[in-house]
Amino acid sequence: MTENAIITIENLNKHFKSGDLLSKVLKDINLEIERGECIVLKGVSGSGKTTLLSIMGGLDRPSSGKVLVEGESISKLPDLHISHFRAQKIGMIFQHFNLFDHLTATENVMIPLIPARLSMDEVDQKVHSSLKLANISHKAESTAGRLSGGEKQRVAIARALVSDPAIILCDEPTANLDRDNSLKFIEILGQLHEMGKTIVVATHDPLFDTLSFANRVVPMEDGSLVGSISKGLQ
Amino acid sequence: MRNSPFFHFLTLEFFKERKKHMGVIAISLVILFLLSSVLFISSSIRYSLEQTLDQEPDFVVQRIQGGERVSVPTEWMDRLLEIHGISSVTARVYGRYFFKSKEKSFLIVGVDFMDEQSHKALRTIMDEVDLREFLKGDNMLVGGGVSHYLKSHFYPKGYTFLTPKGAFKKVHLFKVLPRESNLIANDMIIVPIELAQEIFGMNEEEVSDITFNVPNDDEWANVEDKISSFHYDLRVITKNDIKKAYENLYNYKGGIFLILFLITIVTFVLILYQRYSMVYSSERRHIGLLRALGWSINDVLKLKFFETMMVVIVAYILGVGLAYLYVFVLGAPLLREIFLGGANLHNVITLVPVLNFGILSSIFLIYAVPFVSAVLIPVWKIAVTDPKEAML
Repeated sequence: MTENAIITIENLNKHFKSGDLLSKVLKDINLEIERGECIVLKGVSGSGKTTLLSIMGGLDRPSSGKVLVEGESISKLPDLHISHFRAQKIGMIFQHFNLFDHLTATENVMIPLIPARLSMDEVDQKVHSSLKLANISHKAESTAGRLSGGEKQRVAIARALVSDPAIILCDEPTANLDRDNSLKFIEILGQLHEMGKTIVVATHDPLFDTLSFANRVVPMEDGSLVGSISKGLQ
Repeated sequence: MRNSPFFHFLTLEFFKERKKHMGVIAISLVILFLLSSVLFISSSIRYSLEQTLDQEPDFVVQRIQGGERVSVPTEWMDRLLEIHGISSVTARVYGRYFFKSKEKSFLIVGVDFMDEQSHKALRTIMDEVDLREFLKGDNMLVGGGVSHYLKSHFYPKGYTFLTPKGAFKKVHLFKVLPRESNLIANDMIIVPIELAQEIFGMNEEEVSDITFNVPNDDEWANVEDKISSFHYDLRVITKNDIKKAYENLYNYKGGIFLILFLITIVTFVLILYQRYSMVYSSERRHIGLLRALGWSINDVLKLKFFETMMVVIVAYILGVGLAYLYVFVLGAPLLREIFLGGANLHNVITLVPVLNFGILSSIFLIYAVPFVSAVLIPVWKIAVTDPKEAML
């Protein structure tokens, strides 16, 4: 493990059991991601990239192996600690946005801050600056259900950024966006990279092949990492 | 609390999802209304009965011959007084007066108004009667049911009784007893003891029964034994026997309520099951997402607990409040008939408001505990699964 590593994955395996059938989704994964790096996990549907991303974010647990974040193993943390870890260190952006449609953009963005025992003023301040950063302040009071796909994605970005996490995990972030909105999303991602955030994107979108600020593209196939194309820090 | 993001989010969720909550509140309200109404009526009637029966004498002595009740000679009163521990010996004359054509009857009660004990027993229902005026002529005090019956048969001012000797006795209606006494005195006619003896064709030395008190409760069994050996054809009834008889009567009627209660509970269980399934299916993604965004199991349970408690409290206040209005202000139309439907005469009773912590907390617990559990158990089951799985 290098000194600058923020995420270290060692001998990670994940399998699901369905009756007598054992389905291996991730096979012997070893990966190290440095602080401030932007990594693109590339692969077709079913290659295991979403599962790998979920395990990195503490949303799922490995069957064997270890995931270390800032040197601490998150694989066997008790609920309270893993929740705290997710709230403080991880910003998740999902393929289907996963917003609460009945709430406004502001209310959606404040959700990760609620367990943090902040005052309402502090929450308002953080939500406001996060919406500004994601360039969606003008829709702050709009109900999420009434926003366009691109606007929803920007609210999702604001929500991922609101607790100022060090790591941003994006799962197929452009799958439900048109080209223009996808490019806008990539632009915001670039800004986050400049801010020093560690970014991991799981995607099969070709737009990410030519991503100027990506440090590495890591192809995945059938649950395994198949090499790594280093692009060097831009 | 106003500055707490948690409570801000809680109220947001509650009001923005009000359509979802309204349905649950409406169903809960109906259940709570029925449950509370049943408990309010039964506790009010029980309270009124207990209050009335407390005024009754401790012992009643009757005479049985050939399995039939016959008059008791008044000379027994002096002999009873000789027994140590007995006080306030009083004679009573009463019996049913039948209207053959209508198959209805009144209960005529003859009272010795000069006797302190008799007066005490009737004090609660005769508070506003001017006794001096009442005793000047042949007057009667009647219960609500009797008054209603007489008026509907064109006897608004009095009634002429036919005695066993074939004579007519006209009695003036002096006053209608207050509504509060209708539970006991609905079909009752209260007259001076001499007038009752005349209506029933009894002579002055005969009464229907003799009552007395035994102030020392420990002596009740001894006194009962002594009285039983006093004469071979005596029947002794204690206040406890009367209480038991009334309890049996209202337990039987309470049985009908029990059926209603069971129907309510079964409906409630079905609703709980539906709620359980609904939470499990519809809230799954919602809870998974909260967990993915950094909420712990405790945070999720806390949110859902408070959210459910808001539903429970709103439904409880509305349900119990409406039941109170229905039972104690409107007099519980329809439900009241279950208790009073078999009465001899049409009865209109006033249900005395009885609200105590026991009743209110019972209603709350019967409703709130299963309801909150039906929400929190599936929420907990979802919350403990990995967020990724819950969000699928």
